[in-house]
Amino acid sequence: MAAIYSLYVINKSGGLIFYKDYGSAGRMDTNDSLRMASLWHSMHAISQQLSPISGCSGIELLQADTFDLHCFQSLTGHDAYDHNHNPINEVKACTFSVLQHLMGSFASLVPSPNRITYLGKIHLLVQDLKTLPASRDKVFVVCDPGTQHMEGLLKHIYELYTDYVLKNPFYEMEMPIRVSFSISNCLRRYKRTVLPC
Amino acid sequence: MQFFGSSEISPSPPAPTASGNNAHMMYVFNRNGVCLLYREWNRPLRTLDAQQDQKLMFGLLFSLKSLTAKMDPTTAEKGNLGVPQLPGQGCSFHSFRTNTYKLSFMETPSGIKLILVTHPRTGDLREPLKYIYNLYVEYVAKNPLYTPGTPIKCELFNTSLDQYVRSIA
Repeated sequence: MAAIYSLYVINKSGGLIFYKDYGSAGRMDTNDSLRMASLWHSMHAISQQLSPISGCSGIELLQADTFDLHCFQSLTGHDAYDHNHNPINEVKACTFSVLQHLMGSFASLVPSPNRITYLGKIHLLVQDLKTLPASRDKVFVVCDPGTQHMEGLLKHIYELYTDYVLKNPFYEMEMPIRVSFSISNCLRRYKRTVLPC
Repeated sequence: MQFFGSSEISPSPPAPTASGNNAHMMYVFNRNGVCLLYREWNRPLRTLDAQQDQKLMFGLLFSLKSLTAKMDPTTAEKGNLGVPQLPGQGCSFHSFRTNTYKLSFMETPSGIKLILVTHPRTGDLREPLKYIYNLYVEYVAKNPLYTPGTPIKCELFNTSLDQYVRSIA
């Protein structure tokens, strides 16, 4: 049976705007889910920089030992520019806080001879973030390894997001989704009709 | 935790895809993040200089590993995000795919990280990476002239790696 563990929607600055857990062990608290979202956002952007071929739009599927993570990026994106027509990078600020957090953990856990090199590496990582491209909204889902039809599901969720959230005149862009319709209801209905479970 | 049975080189595993040179590049890092080997077969786009590129790659793997360890939906005991994990500890990942490339990753119990970047439609490369690790053990780790932690300059390893990668991807 196909099992979906959790669903995230993140805005173009890497902020978590929707998170729903469908029964993974050890549910994440709000802070952790926010950190995960912005960490994923920056990893997604870095993967574009490391591409050997131009035109890379980031990670679509991450295969971990115990789960698969499928990510769908919105079709439209608005790039932000400052008055000099340079792209503004909101990712940087978000990611910086995550990295600061990581550095905090390192400082206490890495034995002192290695500490300096690790901190140096993270500083370099932060510097590299200056060159990140502007990005778009993302929807990603964590599911059992080898689950099929996830691209269709993500497209469907994205359609729900555009119809019920973006077209809602009371919804403020980039803010957490508090629309009373429930994505999870639609998801359950979708799973029943489309997914072979 | 993965263990690799015998140290002798097993017969070449079956190729996961049809022939053709689909491999882009390969990285080998040790557990301190030193890039021991960087091989490049087909890379039209370079956004950073070599050193920055290797650092960014190591940083990406490190952070993705802490992300997967925290996101693991099958265990409740995961610790905090960003806590350094020993090799084999916590949930790791074996590959990710973008629209332009696929990155396959293996970490050995000694903390050696093998990264192979190939065409996005390449199949599962876990077995081939184990075979490449065996090549490393045979030609590099057992080489008395090789100092651990320094870049690999072993001609025999490079040629057999080239040959093998050409056969799989």
